[in-house]
Amino acid sequence: MFRTQELEINMGPQHPATHGVLRLLLTLDGETIVGMKPIIGYLHRGVEKLSETRTYPQIIPYTDRLDYVASFAENHSYVGAVEKLLGIDPPPRAKYLRVILAEFQRIASHLLWLATHALDIGAMTIFLYTFREREKILDLFEAYCGARLTYNAVRIGGMPFDLPDGWVDAAKRMLDEFPVRLQQYETLLTNNRIWRKRTEGIGVIDADTALAWGLTGPSLRGSGIDYDVRKHLPYEVYDELDFDVPVGERGDTYDRYLVRMEEMRQSRRIILQALENLPDGDVMTRVPKRIKAPAGAEAYFMTESPRGEMSVYLQADGSDKPYRVRFRSPSFNNLQALPVLSKGHMVADVIALIGTIDIVLGCVDR
Amino acid sequence: MAIKVKRTPRPERPPLWKRLVLGELIEGLMVTLVHNFRALREPFTVQYPDEQLPLEPRYRGVPRLRSHPETGEELCISCHQCERICPDRCIHIEDEPHPSGRGKRPRVFTIDYERCCLCGLCVEACPTKPVTSIYMSHDFELARYRRDEFKADLRELYFGKDKVVYGRRS
Repeated sequence: MFRTQELEINMGPQHPATHGVLRLLLTLDGETIVGMKPIIGYLHRGVEKLSETRTYPQIIPYTDRLDYVASFAENHSYVGAVEKLLGIDPPPRAKYLRVILAEFQRIASHLLWLATHALDIGAMTIFLYTFREREKILDLFEAYCGARLTYNAVRIGGMPFDLPDGWVDAAKRMLDEFPVRLQQYETLLTNNRIWRKRTEGIGVIDADTALAWGLTGPSLRGSGIDYDVRKHLPYEVYDELDFDVPVGERGDTYDRYLVRMEEMRQSRRIILQALENLPDGDVMTRVPKRIKAPAGAEAYFMTESPRGEMSVYLQADGSDKPYRVRFRSPSFNNLQALPVLSKGHMVADVIALIGTIDIVLGCVDR
Repeated sequence: MAIKVKRTPRPERPPLWKRLVLGELIEGLMVTLVHNFRALREPFTVQYPDEQLPLEPRYRGVPRLRSHPETGEELCISCHQCERICPDRCIHIEDEPHPSGRGKRPRVFTIDYERCCLCGLCVEACPTKPVTSIYMSHDFELARYRRDEFKADLRELYFGKDKVVYGRRS
């Protein structure tokens, strides 16, 4: 007479905690998750196909719109791929500028991750504090390139501008007070019993499974694997700079939180070193006005974006437009592991898990 | 090259007496309390639109056109370079011969602000001296009532649009 039945419910696509337009089809046994199916494509704009009809420099603004939280990283990956395709070497000052801005972007992106992750779990205060720091980084970006979100701040062959007057001082001021701020976030969260109960042991993924699902970035390093593109395949000037790769122990949500917090400290170290060693000289090398790549040439270039390994594959057909552009976005691969992470947890933990894999739907759907 | 790995050890749980008196929660509340009092002295937010934040000189608002800063001559030579570089194809130019007999000038110059992505590539392509004819203005308040109002013609590109003041400024 009485029987139980599994319940299928939709979460999203218009859900405030899904960080964009992600729809999750949950199969529930009571409140326990027995199955989950992420349904994506609500933000699909066909950037890869669109890129085939645009010239090489014209694609840079489109890469801004992939991962709109960290658009500098996307610009950087794409331009790196074009430079590899054409064999252009940007001048050293441009390389240093790219490293500085990429690391600022990493801090800004991790701050936004911390804000929304904590907000989803229920810590509202930290959201306001991290956005204040993020605002300062966005001000630095605005002073450098004129935009606060979609920077379009890398050019094929270098950087569009040199640093404006007073930029280095403003950056150093921001970095000087940053450890104090980070300490405040840690005071609010790290030992907070609610935070620890909501994150410890939630979404455990061991190293082998994480590798098998193609996780990259902090989500992989939380499981204890020290894979970082900046160390393993150094691009720009990362091999000249001294920094550590933080890794976690158990691979749960709390570990990924600790890894990202430590990454912000390491990014600060990288920026300070890069500002110290910043060479003089041009920021742009000479490139032809109409950029053409030889037919059949291919390039694959990867960078460590705040979310993981962001790589771009380019194939040329001899014209000024690419024949094929492929963006390998870390968010897409990290999202695949969400059903594995969430199996056996409660519905409320899904919110924490979406936060911990740190996806941006613009980057997932492309 | 050996990779320097930094383990992020799990912080010890606070001692029992501290947990009993809610020590770690009180530490967190102290942070918010300090912020509370500091915010009374120096608020971090501004009351937009009554107050506006200063914009950086390189700020990229909507693209506009300008004439020579000293002589006031028309700078645009209708070379179509901005039209060609635009990734959104939102610029439309038609030329006519310049009245002086040399070169060309734009008869129609339209920028569709609906499609413009504010990337600034047109400014980099512009060849005119001493300043670029097309430039990124500091206008960012773009609310308009009809879609066709977003197609900016020569007049609007040079002189701007009468700004409607929103907000409580009375």
